[in-house]
Amino acid sequence: MDKKMRPVIKASLHYLALAIVSVIWLIPVYAMLINGFKSNFEVLSTPVLVPPTKITFEAYVSVLLSLAKPLINSLIIVIPTSFISAFLGAMGAYFFYTLSYSFSRASSAISDVLFSLISLATFIPQEATLLPLTRLIVSMGLLDSYIGIIFALLIFYIPTGALLMSMFISVIPRSLIEAAKMDGTGDLKIFMKIVFPLSMPGFISTLIFIIIQAWNNFFIPLVLVTTPGMKLTSIAVLSYSGAYGTLYNDTFAAGMVASIIPLAIFVFLGRYFIRGLMALGGGGKGV
Amino acid sequence: MVRIIVKNVSKVFKKGKVVALDNVNINIENGERFGILGPSGAGKTTFMRIIAGLDVPSTGELYFDDRLVASNGKLIVPPEDRKIGMVFQTWALYPNLTAFENIAFPLTNMKMSKEEIRKRVEEVAKILDIHHVLNHFPRELSGGQQQRVALARALVKDPSLLLLDEPFSNLDARMRDSARALVKEVQSRLGVTLLVVSHDPADIFAIADRVGVLVKGKLVQVGKPEDLYDNPVSIQVASLIGEINELEGKVTNEGVVIGSLRFPVSVSSDRAIIGIRPEDVKLSKDVIKDDSWILVGKGKVKVIGYQGGLFRITITPLDSEEEIFTYSDHPIHSGEEVLVYVRKDKIKVFEKN
Repeated sequence: MDKKMRPVIKASLHYLALAIVSVIWLIPVYAMLINGFKSNFEVLSTPVLVPPTKITFEAYVSVLLSLAKPLINSLIIVIPTSFISAFLGAMGAYFFYTLSYSFSRASSAISDVLFSLISLATFIPQEATLLPLTRLIVSMGLLDSYIGIIFALLIFYIPTGALLMSMFISVIPRSLIEAAKMDGTGDLKIFMKIVFPLSMPGFISTLIFIIIQAWNNFFIPLVLVTTPGMKLTSIAVLSYSGAYGTLYNDTFAAGMVASIIPLAIFVFLGRYFIRGLMALGGGGKGV
Repeated sequence: MVRIIVKNVSKVFKKGKVVALDNVNINIENGERFGILGPSGAGKTTFMRIIAGLDVPSTGELYFDDRLVASNGKLIVPPEDRKIGMVFQTWALYPNLTAFENIAFPLTNMKMSKEEIRKRVEEVAKILDIHHVLNHFPRELSGGQQQRVALARALVKDPSLLLLDEPFSNLDARMRDSARALVKEVQSRLGVTLLVVSHDPADIFAIADRVGVLVKGKLVQVGKPEDLYDNPVSIQVASLIGEINELEGKVTNEGVVIGSLRFPVSVSSDRAIIGIRPEDVKLSKDVIKDDSWILVGKGKVKVIGYQGGLFRITITPLDSEEEIFTYSDHPIHSGEEVLVYVRKDKIKVFEKN
């Protein structure tokens, strides 16, 4: 027989591989989903992958009540953080773009150095900054406040925003910016009227990325929040698994609730995310 | 409206490893239409960017009228203060703005009322016949319309100097002639100094009063396009400004010999390059009795093609691989032997280097 695999078999094998990976990936999600609907007794007495015999909402009800405040806190923190980081990041990225195209050799060298520093800032593990960061926030009198947490998150996410946005902004044709410069347009106006609108898909991708990162950030709220009323979702979810016993159904339900908001954002803005990624892949066709 | 003086301008990139412009000197007169012709990589775009102020000369000076605008690596007058309108090769229209907003963009940087802006944009749009597409986005316009929007954006701010960087290379061949005519008409109406950069001699003949040829960063010849066409300083200039047959031959007492062809010219070196334009070659089966044409020998028709109402005929001399092409109003079959005539005073001789 022919040594070559028939296309049908080849495609089937591809789909089989995909299916296996998907199942592995979906098992935890599946467990989270079904166990949240089990009763306190059933969650302890049945295996984790077996669906509930009777669906109850008691776990969700109790979790929603206690998670309401952390969810609101998280939204108050995450929305300004992500918008400010993505927007300032975009401005920074445009700054580097103009510097690197400048014909003065000094400014393109400065651009390289600053850009390396920024990239470095995104690689620093947040845990390593524990003492200086806490002292900074305390000395500013912002411990246990929204502003303090937002400020701390911005320190880490503005560089991320600049790094991501510079990938999107660098595909904007240089002649567009030169044309505007020749007409006497200032950099701020070039940014607001041309660069920012043209990098909108990239901006939304960056925004989603930072929203998800900030929403799931555990370390910074852990250190900078001292009172229960200021708790963020990521910390609140953890409090369901205690040292002496865990209410599994509550934990799973809390995990589900905490994931819903980033998931919803991704679903609504997801096509822009994909479009942004495609703009990157398209090389110079970023417009 | 502005006179441009380029003095000893050189531009090097990568710490002197790449020389883009090599000691260029030129005066472009007030209101003149000047063309820069050169092959790709000759430094044309660099030259234009230096004039525009998007780049600075490594050494040398650039004056606009009597004002020094850049010298020795320093930008003295930034691009926005040079009163330049520029049409980029890719047109560089803002894709997120409508044609109207694109054209109005330069005016929004000046202190000008909305009424005034609208009036100016509509005025220039009318001249360029794009007033009916002002509400469209660039992607909704045809290539020719996009080009006219770009031209309108360059003209709306009433510049003293209009720079065109390969402005017609993105257009269909059919539309180029009307676009060229439009540029020339608008220029003469406004009296603005015009600098056009191109690799296409058709652009230069259609628009420029004078042309400078750039080869490897050096300005090798400046003059009227017709003068360059008839008296090029090198075979390279000759082939840049128009089609030409390039034949390398041996120099003898009786002239330059290429196979069965003999061109009666005198040269001092051993070998020489003969340049002869296709319109200065005539193929005939019979003897031509006309003093302005001289017989150079016999050739054999190699290929015959058809182009724009004329037959393009390529012949080779007997015993030689060189090729000569010309246009004829009647076909000659390939393989036939013909008498090759050339116009007497149009043989161009270049030394082999």
